[in-house]
Amino acid sequence: MSQIDFATFEILNEVGIITLDLPPGNYLPIPGFIPLKIFKQWIGSDHLKGLIIRGRGKNFSAGGNLEQLFKESGPPDTMQCLMDEGIELLNCIQNLEIPVISVISGVCFGGGLEIALASHIRVASENALLAFPEVSHNLMPGMGGTVRLPGVIGWSYAVNMILGGDIINAKAGKEMGLIDYIVPKDQPFTFALNLMQKMTRDRPLKVIKSIMKSLKNARTLSPEAAMAEETKLFCKLAADEAERRKTEEA
Amino acid sequence: MMIHWMIEGGIGHLKLNQPPSNTMTMDFFREMRDLVNKIKSAPGLKAIIIHGHGRHFSSGADINELLDNVDEQAMLENHRLFAQMEQFKIPVISAIRGVCIGSAFELALFSHFRICSEDAVLGLPESNFNLMPGIGGIQRVARLAGSAKAIEITLRGNTFPAEDALKMGLVDVVVPKGEVLPLALIFARELPENIDIEYRAFYLHKYIKPLNA
Repeated sequence: MSQIDFATFEILNEVGIITLDLPPGNYLPIPGFIPLKIFKQWIGSDHLKGLIIRGRGKNFSAGGNLEQLFKESGPPDTMQCLMDEGIELLNCIQNLEIPVISVISGVCFGGGLEIALASHIRVASENALLAFPEVSHNLMPGMGGTVRLPGVIGWSYAVNMILGGDIINAKAGKEMGLIDYIVPKDQPFTFALNLMQKMTRDRPLKVIKSIMKSLKNARTLSPEAAMAEETKLFCKLAADEAERRKTEEA
Repeated sequence: MMIHWMIEGGIGHLKLNQPPSNTMTMDFFREMRDLVNKIKSAPGLKAIIIHGHGRHFSSGADINELLDNVDEQAMLENHRLFAQMEQFKIPVISAIRGVCIGSAFELALFSHFRICSEDAVLGLPESNFNLMPGIGGIQRVARLAGSAKAIEITLRGNTFPAEDALKMGLVDVVVPKGEVLPLALIFARELPENIDIEYRAFYLHKYIKPLNA
């Protein structure tokens, strides 16, 4: 187990688990709530096959600590620097070539929702509450939320959530596609870990990475380039498998 | 012949013809390439229905043959071939009965619409063989069902029933197996001859969902 001020990292059956660790609200003291260098150390350890992000206690995260953010930010370019660290961390999470599941219990607001959106699969407890409340402080989501949210739930719902700042529950989140699974409130972590193991337990890391990479390419490359890249990834796996079978026969 | 092609009343019937499981071999893909070129210049064709001979749609690629002949260029051509079918302006409808897994499911995912029997079994099981879906299946599932589902079903490699596929949006209509082909024919006749895949949701709501109601 490894610990920094606001988060804990541990590994369970080849799955990394990050716990946001400032209960009860698990506020994010700064946008880059885990220094990128430490995050990369954690993720680089022991050939992880998946990552789960959760909050300590009843809530996922109530988001950025605005008081502290305004106090520490000073001039605009200092604020920009702080935000950039958060953006870089979330991009790094989204681009991981292993599946990332967010386990959303209780409150998931602002920066908390930004983390959930950067994850690949969102599991919520039945009592989860989701919102981008920034607008009521004359602010807006600042770590990619305005870009990621429409991609997940479409423009119409996204405009409503970001401009309205309303809080939605897990059921509404599931209906609009923001939440992938709703589970009873004491079970989201167990459910997520079980789902992760079903996806990764019997899979070689290279298969996991090839599939995740192919999905990432669909987001970042032209359709033609993504197609060529997928074929290449497939043929590499097929050549390896053919080789493995030959060795096994011999 | 691995593919049986027949035009009847302006509707092209593309039948996967290697019963019992209609395996997609290298010969299949060769025939498919010639057929797609032929279809591109076929006059008066107003829709295509893809289905399998006998009880099943298809169990997908012949994995042993595939592993003995890993050829990136050929694979990419197969991939482009499926993508060309998706770009056809006439509607392409997959009529799915029985087993439809692996590359066969990928072929169905490149069709514009999918009519499915209640007893159908679908899935992308490639990861069970230390492989991945190689002909665009991952992206198509992501587009229809979201990337979370794409990650889940491709990594788990589990097969699932028609009802689950319908819930995820991976098939459009589920009916008893005797009604799959007749319904596909009705859709083929009703749908406009000139469609744009961008507006799939519109056709689905205007033509396919009401007819099934």
